[in-house]
Amino acid sequence: MNAAQPNAVVEALGVAVAAREPVLLWGAPGTGKTSAIRAMASAMDLPCETVIASIREPSDFAGLPVVTGSAVRFAPPLWATRLAEAGTGVLFLDELSTAPPAVQAALLRVVLERTVGDLTLPDDVAVVAAANPPEQAADGWDLSAPLANRLCHLTWETSPRGIADGLAGGWGAPPVPLLPAGWETGEQLNRSLVGAFLQVRPALAIAPPASPAEAGRGWPSPRTWEMAARLMTAAEAAKAGEQARSALVRGAIGDGAGVEFLAWLVDMDLPDPEEVLASPASFRLPERGDRAYAALAAVAAAVAARPTPERWTAGWQVLGGCAQAVPDVAATAARVLARCRPDGTPLPAEIKLFAPVLRDAGLL
Amino acid sequence: MTTELPGLAAARLWAAARFPYLASGIFGTQVTAVPGLGSVAIDERWQVYADPEVAGGWTAAELGSVLVHHVCHMLREHAQRAVAAAVTPADCPLWLRAADAEINDDLIPAGLELPGDPVLPRDFGALTGRLAEEYYALLTRAEPRTDARPGPGWQDCGGGADGQPRDFEVPGGLEPWLADLLQRQVAQEIIRHSTDIGTVPAGLLRWARQVLAPTVDWRRLLAAELRRAVADVAGAADYSYRRPSRRATAVSGVVLPALRRPVPELAVVCDTSGSMSDELLAMALAEVEGLLRALGLARQLRVLACDAAAGPAQRVSSARQVSLVGGGGTNMGAGIEAACSLRPRPAVTVVLTDGYTPWPAAAPKGMRVVAGLLGSGAPDAPGWARSVRVPGVPGPDERR
Repeated sequence: MNAAQPNAVVEALGVAVAAREPVLLWGAPGTGKTSAIRAMASAMDLPCETVIASIREPSDFAGLPVVTGSAVRFAPPLWATRLAEAGTGVLFLDELSTAPPAVQAALLRVVLERTVGDLTLPDDVAVVAAANPPEQAADGWDLSAPLANRLCHLTWETSPRGIADGLAGGWGAPPVPLLPAGWETGEQLNRSLVGAFLQVRPALAIAPPASPAEAGRGWPSPRTWEMAARLMTAAEAAKAGEQARSALVRGAIGDGAGVEFLAWLVDMDLPDPEEVLASPASFRLPERGDRAYAALAAVAAAVAARPTPERWTAGWQVLGGCAQAVPDVAATAARVLARCRPDGTPLPAEIKLFAPVLRDAGLL
Repeated sequence: MTTELPGLAAARLWAAARFPYLASGIFGTQVTAVPGLGSVAIDERWQVYADPEVAGGWTAAELGSVLVHHVCHMLREHAQRAVAAAVTPADCPLWLRAADAEINDDLIPAGLELPGDPVLPRDFGALTGRLAEEYYALLTRAEPRTDARPGPGWQDCGGGADGQPRDFEVPGGLEPWLADLLQRQVAQEIIRHSTDIGTVPAGLLRWARQVLAPTVDWRRLLAAELRRAVADVAGAADYSYRRPSRRATAVSGVVLPALRRPVPELAVVCDTSGSMSDELLAMALAEVEGLLRALGLARQLRVLACDAAAGPAQRVSSARQVSLVGGGGTNMGAGIEAACSLRPRPAVTVVLTDGYTPWPAAAPKGMRVVAGLLGSGAPDAPGWARSVRVPGVPGPDERR
């Protein structure tokens, strides 16, 4: 698989922080996750509270039980009070995967509902976490599936080239995406896209991880689908790159479901072959070569599946319209079409358009 | 899309006709004519740069074959693999030959008509069907370094094959995530073609299967299972209100939990019956031991050799100290029973077996069992045990 480009991951991190969605960076120790998050917080002018989860107790997140008279109060620690007073900020949970399971359980409410003890942090507090993959941290625990499901997982990768450049020329401040006011209005569209996809692939609506090896990463559930829709909206509103958008979607719902969803989104732009055959003049050729091939091959396959003289002629009209722009793509589809000629149908005029290129290729 | 390059349409048409399962990839490349380049090269983003003078001297079949060859560089991710294999700029020509050999050995028999004298594994005395990494290791060892110049003509395949950016590359092309989707689409088309229509070269088919259903390393699975078993049993260094916390004196009025960490005892039952492969058993045992050492539990390890009956338990600090005696029949039930009767009683038992054994009908009480099933054809373990399959040492064809 292609590794996400490091700068795309930084961009994705910025979008998630700006959208206030909880995000988790996975990466080897010493690769600059912590410094990137701090630099981002200071670039966004947000106070940053770092809490190392592995040396904390559950009561630091669930609140210290204090007996006052006949009641028990769950007192929040100072970092939580500071964030609540500031009204905004970044809560950075470091070393998440080395936290014992009991601490991870206590973190569930902090991550999703921003509740620490009896104190609820303001909505404007962003939750960011960092973790080392269990195979790289000797005393690591696998992230529990419920906690994993509350976070968008980004893989922090460093390329030797990037390190060389950074050492020589400085690391530079991370880019901060700006979300325009009211960016949430676009969320409804993305939610309906997710809904349409889940009607095609209902099995992916909720798919808990099957093996413990993949339990610590994102997996599809109603909560993460909602998160994916929100992050997609934020990425579009912040004009983030498509690579960052893809990293966010895959991070929220996991790689398997994420790739399927993205592929479905890309395919959605393709014209419906039946509609094209009904009105060949309306066909718009996709710009990229492989998309053009996918569209024309779909038209040819639709004709081959049910070859009536009208459909066959309409298919030739579509291909003939593309013979000038993409002779090779159209000719490849034309070879499929030529094989399914219905009996007694006269040869269309368009067939002549392909003769030169077929002869050049030695296929005539 | 640029179609400035004369003869490109015919070449792509020829390629799509000869290799229909690669058609999406062939049309996914963006070809630009670069006069004076002296070669036909590809970058990491599916952009092909072609010198019209070089390409003009070729037939449609030859140019089409070069395009297919470059698409395979993209599909097999030679650029990223070169970085992973720590190929230095000086060694790039060797890597290019290795990568070319990986592609050509499969596709030339399938009808690729490359111009000139394409690289084949037999040129440097290697077997076909290996990986570029293996060819590369062979080349760096065998070849005198002075001979490491790129060949004439098109044989410099570009940055898409070795990960070193060339100065003629221009920005643009496919974004990595779109390249990822395109790659998967080609893989799906290869699988569909091989099941519905016709034959696909075996190397490409293996590649497609690996892309669509990557095999998870058994070591990762075993590590995850063991960590989970140990975490569950140990209460995972958990917090408990049963004992007062040592910090409690510092803050009056606050009820603090104490940190409790029971250390679980562990046992490994090794199947030593005649059907077992010693090499696999040693590999799996070493892996278990390494994992336990990482968890800080190596000293709690006891090893039992078991065939039809269990041998005495050995406390070991290294897998090398284990003496495995046995042979004859198999009954892992006896081994699990023997592990149960050890004192202190192990909380987690790892059973390493080839699976050809009777199992107890129900899980032993108060003990977690992780079954390591060695060998690719091992039958399933019962549902109450967490099982991890350890396939045999993979042949060169199965690795990627």
